[in-house]
Amino acid sequence: MSVLIASTALKRNLTSSAKSLRMLDARTIAPTVSHNSAAGLKVLAVLYKGGEAAKQEPRLLSTVENQLGIREWLESQGHEYIVTDDKEGPDSVFQTQLKDTDILITTPFHPGYLTRELIEKSPNLKLCVTAGVGSDHVDLDAAVERDIQVLEVTGSNVTSVAEQVLMSILLLVRNFVPAHEMAERGEWQVSDIARNAFDLEGKVVGTLGAGRIGRLVLERLRPFNPKEILYYDYNALPEDIAKKLGARRVEDIKDFVSQCDVITINAPLHEGTRGLVNADLLKHFRKGAWIVNTARGAICNAEDVAAALRSGQLNGYAGDVWNVQPAPKDHPWRYMRNNLGGGNGMTPHYSGTTLDAQARYAAGTKQILENYFKGKAQEPANIIVGLGKYETQSYGQR
Amino acid sequence: MKILAVLYKGGEAATQEPRLLGTVENQLGIRQWVESLGHEYIVTDDKEGSDSVFQKHIADAEVLITTPFHPAYLTKEIIEKAKNLRLCITAGVGSDHVDLNAAVDKRIQVLEVSGSNVVSVAEHVIMSILLLVRNFVPAHEMIERGDWQVSDIARNAFDLEGKVVGTIGAGRIGYRVLQRLVPFNTKELLYYDYAPLPEEAAKAVGARRVDDLKDFVSQCDVVTVNCPLHEGTRGLVNADLLKHFKKGAWLVNTARGAICDKDAVAEALKSGQLSGYAGDVWNVQPAPRDHVWRTMKNPLGGGNGMVPHYSGTTLDAQARYAAGTKSILENYLENRPQEPQNIIIGQSGYETKAYGQRK
Repeated sequence: MSVLIASTALKRNLTSSAKSLRMLDARTIAPTVSHNSAAGLKVLAVLYKGGEAAKQEPRLLSTVENQLGIREWLESQGHEYIVTDDKEGPDSVFQTQLKDTDILITTPFHPGYLTRELIEKSPNLKLCVTAGVGSDHVDLDAAVERDIQVLEVTGSNVTSVAEQVLMSILLLVRNFVPAHEMAERGEWQVSDIARNAFDLEGKVVGTLGAGRIGRLVLERLRPFNPKEILYYDYNALPEDIAKKLGARRVEDIKDFVSQCDVITINAPLHEGTRGLVNADLLKHFRKGAWIVNTARGAICNAEDVAAALRSGQLNGYAGDVWNVQPAPKDHPWRYMRNNLGGGNGMTPHYSGTTLDAQARYAAGTKQILENYFKGKAQEPANIIVGLGKYETQSYGQR
Repeated sequence: MKILAVLYKGGEAATQEPRLLGTVENQLGIRQWVESLGHEYIVTDDKEGSDSVFQKHIADAEVLITTPFHPAYLTKEIIEKAKNLRLCITAGVGSDHVDLNAAVDKRIQVLEVSGSNVVSVAEHVIMSILLLVRNFVPAHEMIERGDWQVSDIARNAFDLEGKVVGTIGAGRIGYRVLQRLVPFNTKELLYYDYAPLPEEAAKAVGARRVDDLKDFVSQCDVVTVNCPLHEGTRGLVNADLLKHFKKGAWLVNTARGAICDKDAVAEALKSGQLSGYAGDVWNVQPAPRDHVWRTMKNPLGGGNGMVPHYSGTTLDAQARYAAGTKSILENYLENRPQEPQNIIIGQSGYETKAYGQRK
C-alpha cells in the first residue's frame, strides 16, 4: 500500500515539474514523466472480445484475449495491465478501474466512452492512447482542462479506411448487394439489378474532409475517371496536392453536396461535424446520390439518413461507423433500404482493424507507451491533445 | 431483311426505367429506326430449345444481335440451319457464345461493341477484389442479422495494399484493371498473356510479365481473370492449377465462367485453398437455381462474391452498347467499313488477336 501512495506522490510531483518544462513552441512536446519514475503504472485497455477467433487467429492482436501483444512487455517493466471489453455502466470493469488508472488504451471499434464525468473520477489519468485513429470517444475538451494527453496511432489504418471507402462507393453505385442476394437466392433477373446499377466513371465525387484519409481516397479515385473530384474542408489543400489529385474546393457545404453524385465523409467527429448531415442538408443533395461514411456515425443524423434512403432522396448509404458502438440490434441503419430494396452497404466497425491494420496499431501503441515511459518526444502527428492544449488541426477550428 | 435480337426480359423494371435499353421491352431503342428502313425486327428472350423463338427465326435471319448477359448460344448446328445469316452483333463484349470457327467457315461476320463496357467490367473487378480481401459480405450479413462481433470479421479481413495482384489477360479490360490498381500500392502487379504489353504501357502501371502460368499463380495473392473464352482458356483454372495457387488466395472472374472449372473452384473454396471467389460470369447463363457457385463458401462461411451477369450492362454501359450496335448495323446496311477493334470475325476470317493464338 505504501508503495502505491509513494509512487502516487512521486507522480504528482513530476506532473507539476513537467508543466514547468513545457515549451512555448507548439511543435515540441515536453516529456511528461522522467525516466526513473515510470514504474508501477496502471495501464487499462478496453478492447473487443475475440472469443474462439482470437485463439485460432493470433494476428487478432486488438482483442481482449491477445491484448495488443504487450502484456509481457508491460509487466516486465513493473506495470499493471488490465484488459477488458466490459465498458458500459458504472459497474463495468472499465468504469470501476478508472479510479486509479494512469494510462488508458481504447480502440474505436469498441470504444470506451471517456466522458467528462468519468474523467472527473480518474484522478491519476495522464495519458489516453487510441489504438487506431479517431479519438472522439474521449471528451477532448475535458482532457485539455485536466492536462491529460490524448494520442492516437495516426496512419495505422488510414489506407485501410481509404480502401473501405472505394469498396463502399463501388458496391453502392454498382448495386452489388441486391445482386449478390439474388445470386444466393437462386434467382436470375438481370434487369432488376441493372436498373439501378451505374459506373463510377463520369460521376462527380466529393469528399467531406481532405485530411489524411480523404487524400488517400482521392488518389484511389483518380484512375476511375470521375467527372470531377471535389472537396469540402476548412483547411485548403496545398496547391500542388490539389493539382496532383485534380481536386476542386467548394466552400459552401450546401453548394458542395448539390454538385456531387457521391459523397464520402472523411472528417473527425467534433462539435463542428456532429449531426452535420441532417434532414436540412440532405434536401440539398442530388436526388439519388450515394453517401459513404467511414468516419464517425454521429456525423450523420441516423433517422434523417434512413428517411432519405427510404424516400429515394438517397440511392444508397454505406459505411462501418455508427452513432453508438456496438450498434443496437434495432438500429435503423441495419434495415434501411431504398425504394428498390437495396442501397444498404453497412458493416460493423472493422475497416481500420483488418489484420494488417492491427499489426500496425498494436506496434504503434507500444511505441507511444515506450516514448512515454522513457520521456521521449512523441510523433507530432500522433498528438491530438498535448499537455493542456489541442495539437491537432483536424478536430475543428480553434 | 430480318434482324433477330435475343435480349433479356425487363418486366416492370423496363417499363419504369426506359434506360434499360438492353431489354426485350426496350429493344436497344432501335425498332423505329430499323422499321423505317423497311426491315423486320424480331426481339425475344426465348432462346433455349429447338421450339424457341430464337431457333425458329434464326432460319431466315440475316442479322443476329445477341448479348452476353442472356446469351443465345449460336452453335455449329444452329449455324447450319441459318441459311441467310451474314452478320452477328454482340451487344456488349465477348462473343464466345457464337461458335466462331463455324462462323468463319460460313463466312458469317461476328462483331462486338468493343469498348462499350470495358470500364464497367474493370470497375467490377476492383470492387470484387476489395470486397473479397476486406471480407465485406460476412460483415454486411452480420449487420442484417442484428449481430456485432468485430473479431469474426476482422479475423479474415485484409488490406489490398502490399498484396501481389496478377491478371490473366492484359487486354483492354485487364489493362484498365491494372491502371485502377496502381494507387492501391500493391506489392506487385503481374500479368500473364501470350501477347506482351507494349513497354511504355507496362511501365506506366509497373506490371511485370510472368511467362509460366503455374509460376504466375504461385506468386499471386489475388488473381483476376480478364481474357476471352476460347479453346485456349476453357477450363484453364482447374483442380491442377488451383493446387499451385497460394493458400488463401482470392480469385475474381468477370471474364467467362467456363474459364474456371466450377466444381474445382467450389472445392478449393471449401477447403480454404481459395479464401474467396467473386464474379458475375457463369458457365451457363442464366445460371441454374442450384448452381454450386451460388452458395459455395470458405471454411469461415464467407468468401463468396457472386452476382448474376450484369457488370457490363449497367445503365451507363447499356447506352453505349445500344448506340454501338446501331452504329455497327448502320455500317453494315450502308456497306461502310467497321471499326477495326469491333471485328472478331471479318469478311475473311478472324481479325481479332484476342481469341487465342492463330496462324
